[in-house]
Amino acid sequence: MKILIIEDQQELVKNMVRYLNTESYLCEVAPDCETARRKIESFEYDCILLDVTLPDGNGLTLLNELKKDNKTDGVIIISAKNSIYDRIEGLNLGADDYLVKPFHLSELNARISAVIRRRKFSGQKLMTLNELTIDLPGKVVFIYKKKLDLTRKEYDLLLFFVSNKNKVVSKNSIAEHLSGSDMDVFDNLDFIYTHIKNLKRKLTQAGGSDNIKSVYGMGYKFEV
Amino acid sequence: MKLLTKTLKSYLIYSSLLLLVTVPLFYFVVKRVLLHSVDKSLKTQLRDIRSNLNANISTADLQVWSRLDKDIHLEKSGTYFNDRIYTRYIKTRENDDDQVPYRQIESCISVNGQYYKLTISTSLVENEDLLASIVLVEALLLVALMSGMLWINRNISRKLWAPFYETLSKIQGYEFNKHASIDLKKTNTTEFMDLNRCLENLLNKNYDTYLVQKEFTENASHELQTPLAIFQSQLELLMQTSPLTEEQAGLINSLETNNKRLARLNRSLLLLTKIENEEYQPTEFIDISELVKKFIQSYQYYSQKKELKIMEEYNDPLMIQANKTLIEILIGNLISNAVRHNIPGGRLWIALQGGVLSIKNSGAEEGLETDKIYQRFYKKGAEKDGLGLGLAIVQRICNISHFSIQYQHPEGMHEFKINFFPVS
Repeated sequence: MKILIIEDQQELVKNMVRYLNTESYLCEVAPDCETARRKIESFEYDCILLDVTLPDGNGLTLLNELKKDNKTDGVIIISAKNSIYDRIEGLNLGADDYLVKPFHLSELNARISAVIRRRKFSGQKLMTLNELTIDLPGKVVFIYKKKLDLTRKEYDLLLFFVSNKNKVVSKNSIAEHLSGSDMDVFDNLDFIYTHIKNLKRKLTQAGGSDNIKSVYGMGYKFEV
Repeated sequence: MKLLTKTLKSYLIYSSLLLLVTVPLFYFVVKRVLLHSVDKSLKTQLRDIRSNLNANISTADLQVWSRLDKDIHLEKSGTYFNDRIYTRYIKTRENDDDQVPYRQIESCISVNGQYYKLTISTSLVENEDLLASIVLVEALLLVALMSGMLWINRNISRKLWAPFYETLSKIQGYEFNKHASIDLKKTNTTEFMDLNRCLENLLNKNYDTYLVQKEFTENASHELQTPLAIFQSQLELLMQTSPLTEEQAGLINSLETNNKRLARLNRSLLLLTKIENEEYQPTEFIDISELVKKFIQSYQYYSQKKELKIMEEYNDPLMIQANKTLIEILIGNLISNAVRHNIPGGRLWIALQGGVLSIKNSGAEEGLETDKIYQRFYKKGAEKDGLGLGLAIVQRICNISHFSIQYQHPEGMHEFKINFFPVS
């Protein structure tokens, strides 16, 4: 699957590429609007990551052009601006998602997989991973065809783990993912333990394997 | 004390002193002068009598004369004595307390070898009346003079100081974030011209500095986002490396937590700048009680964990027109504070009545320092979790939205009251 990263910060791009490459994504980079335009004209991308502030123009202008060509599907805006207006404008212009810098790579990865799932597998509603089957539109999880009774948060958590499978995700990124980045008033991350503990219990009780491993109190890893 | 009152006060003190001193002084001087002239006339009279006395006058003549002229009294005297002059108070009628002052001269005259004591009297009543009228008129004149001077002075001062008061009122109404250049009225008084010019320079310079600083904060915050993002992503890559020891994991965890804190700090500062730049316009109608309920719900995990007893009273529904982002931050910050700084098993009491939202919670025994709580980076004691920006943001939001906010510490509870429609 091909991803285009339109972002002028070399180092940030390098890190994004390194993280995403392990996910069987093929990443291409455009450091400015001009390059981005050329690439979009010549190739098809499954997902486009678009920075708003670019050296030769505004990312939103580029988005506007994409909208005219009906190519806005799969665009995730990455912006240093956290203003609600930029967010609304971006989403109005047809972007799929809006991510504010600084972000967690695991969060970015989860958003990309969500976008791609929505686009590529619009016909296919089920995602299978070993004994796990996830019904995406219905937000239901089955283990060996047995339905799991998960809360909304537990479901979100599982999907986050599945998107970042075999990667260490930090407690902070889990906390932000579960609470939404606007709610960062609590430094206390206790609440994620409860959700993870419950999720693990439900998975193992249903006969699934215990895939969620704690990594030295730093984070967790969903091993497949 | 007002400037005008101050100058007038000096004048008033001076004129009252002058009045107090002048009127008695005047009284004594005039009295002396009058007495002197009375004495002079008595002496002249005596001299006339002496020169008119001759040997042909009999004792019987003297007695007749003395009886006829009331002002003259004669009686025999054994010895010779020198002339005496004095004031005496004499009753005009018998059984009358009213005594009248008389000026008398006593002299010894010799008629036919016999010494007589001659007393010539003249009433001082007229003189005293005259004196009283003169002093009264004089006093009235002085009072009129003083009050007239005061009045004129006050009017002149008022006119003279008018440009000053004008400037003062302009400066009082001045707000840094609102205005670009202040327009002070022209005046032809050199001192006030200088004052206005200096003020204008000062304000313009300050305003420029303010703009630069504002821009700097915003730019700095924006510029910081990128390195923070790079740092964050590198930490995550570092997490994926193997082998990873427990020690390394601990370090990475701490780095990530601190980086998150930096990012939050940066975001909060940026938010403050944006609020001050008035980038948030009141665009929506917001149901306050709905919003409060939403936040109570989202902090449920923490309030349940602390076993807080939450009481909610929504007596009057409240819809306000405001910026939703700001109001969410405002209420979110206050409720999260009330939960975060609460004690286990504590209470949280929320009331919405008559346009006032009150959020009251148990917590530290000691009250917060009212004059400091809204300062940036103000933290109480050893508190390390918070950024110290939450209440600063709350206050800025209240200011910009024209709400009033008040902190109270009743019976060991901490209470924040927001009045959405304060009477200004």
